[in-house]
Amino acid sequence: MVNRVRSTTARPPRVYTIPTALLLAALTLIAGTGTAQTPVVDLSVEPGMVKGPRAAPVTIVEFSDYQ
Amino acid sequence: MKEYDGRVRLIFKDFPLPSHDLARPAHEAARCAGAVGRYWPYHDLLFANQPKFERADLVRYALEAGVPRDGFVKCLDEHRFATAVADDVSQARALGVSSTPTFLINNRPLVGAHPIENFRTAIDEALQDKK
Repeated sequence: MVNRVRSTTARPPRVYTIPTALLLAALTLIAGTGTAQTPVVDLSVEPGMVKGPRAAPVTIVEFSDYQ
Repeated sequence: MKEYDGRVRLIFKDFPLPSHDLARPAHEAARCAGAVGRYWPYHDLLFANQPKFERADLVRYALEAGVPRDGFVKCLDEHRFATAVADDVSQARALGVSSTPTFLINNRPLVGAHPIENFRTAIDEALQDKK
């Protein structure tokens, strides 16, 4: 009697997280250098705190204090 | 904004000054309202009621802005958006912003409360540069 060969369990698909992240970072840098003056700072943008279309030719970033 | 419909995008960033001790909770509160899609109505209420930003005030504005109470209070009390507000402050400092309000119009700074005419000029120049 032959021992049953252990079937190879299905491996979870490999996710290429790091290369994707690197690619995104590179794209962000490329996009950033084209438009921003020095210093280059990555601005986080909260969608709810934005008015107007993404494609607008003029972007105003307002830093304000409510008090 | 209406005047430049479609041509201007406004990004609001939190920059509560350290000397304004009521500002930080107000900024966090606005983001709590934003979590249910009511950022701008809440933002307008804060500016209209400046500087009445005690906790009870912040909760009252939420109700006025149509934000469900329980979720809002929880969000406010657990400081859910404290990090997000702090990140905005860090970004402001990294950009060399040191006073409020500061506007970057296509990266060109306009510092302080200016008459609307100065904004028109700055926006028109930015539009011209794009042509």
